[in-house]
Amino acid sequence: MAIDRTYYSIDPEGKLQCMKCRVPLVKGKAKFLYLGNGFPVELPVCPVCGFVYVPEELALGKVLSVEKALEDK
Amino acid sequence: MPKVRERGSTHVYKVNKISKEEVDSMVARCIYEEPPFCNAACPLKLDTRAMLKAAAAGDFKKALQLYEKATPFPLVLSAGCEAPCEAKCRLCERGEGLAIRAVEQAVARFGGPPRAGSVFRTKKKKTVAVIGSGLFALFLAGELEKKAYPTTVFCEQADAEGFLRAAAGFLDEAAFALELERLKKKDLQFVFGCKATAAFLEETRPAFDVVCVSEDVFTELFPEAAVAPELMFCEGETLVTGSGSGVMSAAHNAKKAALTVDRLAQNLDPANMRGQEDPFQSRLYTDLSEATDLTRVPAAGELYTREEAVREAGRCIQCHCEECMKSCAYLQHYKKYPGLLGREIYNNTQIIMGDHQLNKPMNACTLCGQCTVVCPNGFDMAHICASSRRNMVSTDKMPLAPHEFALMDMMFSNGEAFLARPQPGFTQCRYLFFPGCQAVAIAPETVKAAYQDLCSRLEGGVALMLGCCGAICDWAGRYEMQESTREFLLNELAKLGNPAIIAGCPTCRKELTESVGGEITGIWDILDKIGLPEGARGLDRPVALHDACGARGDAHTQEVIRRLAEKLGITLAETEDSGDRSPCCGYGGLTAYANPEVADEITQKALERSDAPFLSYCMACRDRFARQGRESRHLLELIYGTDAGAPPDISEKRYNRLTLKKELLWELWHEETAEMKLDYELHYTDEARQLMDSRMILTDDVIAVMNAYRENGEAILESETGLAVACLRIGNATFWVKFTEDGPDSYTVHRAYSHRMNVVRREG
Repeated sequence: MAIDRTYYSIDPEGKLQCMKCRVPLVKGKAKFLYLGNGFPVELPVCPVCGFVYVPEELALGKVLSVEKALEDK
Repeated sequence: MPKVRERGSTHVYKVNKISKEEVDSMVARCIYEEPPFCNAACPLKLDTRAMLKAAAAGDFKKALQLYEKATPFPLVLSAGCEAPCEAKCRLCERGEGLAIRAVEQAVARFGGPPRAGSVFRTKKKKTVAVIGSGLFALFLAGELEKKAYPTTVFCEQADAEGFLRAAAGFLDEAAFALELERLKKKDLQFVFGCKATAAFLEETRPAFDVVCVSEDVFTELFPEAAVAPELMFCEGETLVTGSGSGVMSAAHNAKKAALTVDRLAQNLDPANMRGQEDPFQSRLYTDLSEATDLTRVPAAGELYTREEAVREAGRCIQCHCEECMKSCAYLQHYKKYPGLLGREIYNNTQIIMGDHQLNKPMNACTLCGQCTVVCPNGFDMAHICASSRRNMVSTDKMPLAPHEFALMDMMFSNGEAFLARPQPGFTQCRYLFFPGCQAVAIAPETVKAAYQDLCSRLEGGVALMLGCCGAICDWAGRYEMQESTREFLLNELAKLGNPAIIAGCPTCRKELTESVGGEITGIWDILDKIGLPEGARGLDRPVALHDACGARGDAHTQEVIRRLAEKLGITLAETEDSGDRSPCCGYGGLTAYANPEVADEITQKALERSDAPFLSYCMACRDRFARQGRESRHLLELIYGTDAGAPPDISEKRYNRLTLKKELLWELWHEETAEMKLDYELHYTDEARQLMDSRMILTDDVIAVMNAYRENGEAILESETGLAVACLRIGNATFWVKFTEDGPDSYTVHRAYSHRMNVVRREG
């Protein structure tokens, strides 16, 4: 099941900041891995330390539904 | 060339935990699809139940359509039918059975004028001749027309009216006129004025693929020839023929003959593939308790008026067997009768590639066994679901997500929170008290009081074991884990000198009897024998007793519990579905973890039985009912005068287990346990607590995230909310905590969430 990349593209628009590096998060490349499947996505990441942020709406929305679909494969 | 490795199917079949034959025999027990008794008794297989339903609703047009499926000439049939269905009507057992034939007559008269078949109907290529007249010939011509064979009728009479009168002269004038119109509208070719002689037959025969003759013609031309009565076929003369002493038998024989024509036209053996042609005994079960209208509606005239027929049809109780579905909220949720659902769940386990769409229903059954008791044939949904779960585990297809929390909880009970000690002052004990993981989590004070009471009143010492009996992994279908739990418990019991187990929970008792074996007594049996402790007192108002599914089929336990309740001075309120018929509280089978929505419906259904406070003897039942806001007490709480109070959340359950272990170790065995103290303050908002409970996030998970944050300082600041967000991957899930830093070394948790997918940074 392919995840629509654009759906997963969350532009932080400077609303999020890495507390460790004190820099705003930027749109960056990330990957979700589950049960032997991998999905490239774009998520807010810290340009310095590379911390990847998964917002709550995403975790309980699309991520959860994809998890469930993969679990029933 | 590279080898393509396909996932083989043999493995799946080799490791099957439930065989197809087993499922077939189980599914065959479900009689939901069995026809009603009237339908099974009808040689023409009229769907009486549906016809009566339509008539009762006043929809005579639909009722007639259903009736016409059974016969091409409804007025002829209803006027002369012997109605074997009426004798089989279940209402006869309580009063007067339905006047089905009288309703049929009304349906035939009021169902609207005869309609011609569609002009677009494709006709078959093979042609059929019907020679002769009479009831059999009339019905056969009608049946063949229904099967779309180009049919020609050769008869002696001069016109269609004569042909109909020869068959059904007994009809009154109005009915005759209506039936004549119907006959004329049928797509039949008539050749009138034919004398059926041998020469005529030989002359006609070559023009048709199949030739049928009426009985009188046949006996006149072939007095010696034999006819197979089951097939209505004379093989020697290749003629289809038949007779009938009455309307019913003529119609039935015509149906058989039409099927024979069908087989012959396709060059197939007429004896094969005929299906159920004769009346049979239905296996259906009908609950007659709600049948109240037991007297036939009298007809003012000779026949029913439209209104009288509607009233009489309305007396039909629409025989259906839905005994299990009436009682089980799980089956009600999935809106499927268990024969079908069980089959689909089994099929789900056999999928090698593709979506397992029935995983959810498979994991939503509470495995409580209520259906087996209420089903007249003992259908066992729990067996199908439990075996299917094991099957899915064995083929590596079972998702971990629905049961992981419960399994981790069990590992916690038999790990960090596990305790096994002989009674202080004893090296070997005669007994061992096994309260069960839920009792320890929900009512630790009650467990403590019960243990101290047993220690003080039983001779020979009572050891204590705080842990899980293995029911959790049994319900999850994790049979390997179940085996390792069994070995673990056997080992721990051996260390204590194999004392006699006293179980605090009926499910533990059942599970332990099956796993570690031996005679396992319930604490209720001991208390029944040694008497209640001082101060034991029941509630001052009537309570509804909820029987635990662990005690289903265990009349002794159910009786002892009632005796204890009586000794406590408890007045038991009348409760529907108690004893063996008791529904599940929603905890069984891990439904509360795998499918909280269905579990809540099940709990609601169980609570609907009474408005009184609920009394149970399984701590999980007590907890489920209390969570729904109902006053709910465990029998041991009343016996020991303790009150476990409001139900604990998932983190408090773990905390309670650890605290009880720590307290008992200190108070009874004087052992001190190292205390894990946080070197910072952590507070939770009410919203955070609620979210954590519903999302199955433990305070331990949050603490782990916060510890990691304090170590590495990695977090995100949301400028819109002002909340900091930190995360940590623990086991198979990533946990996120949204918090504020209130001061140095002090935090407040506002929200928490998790996901199972692992997220990593991607280069390029």
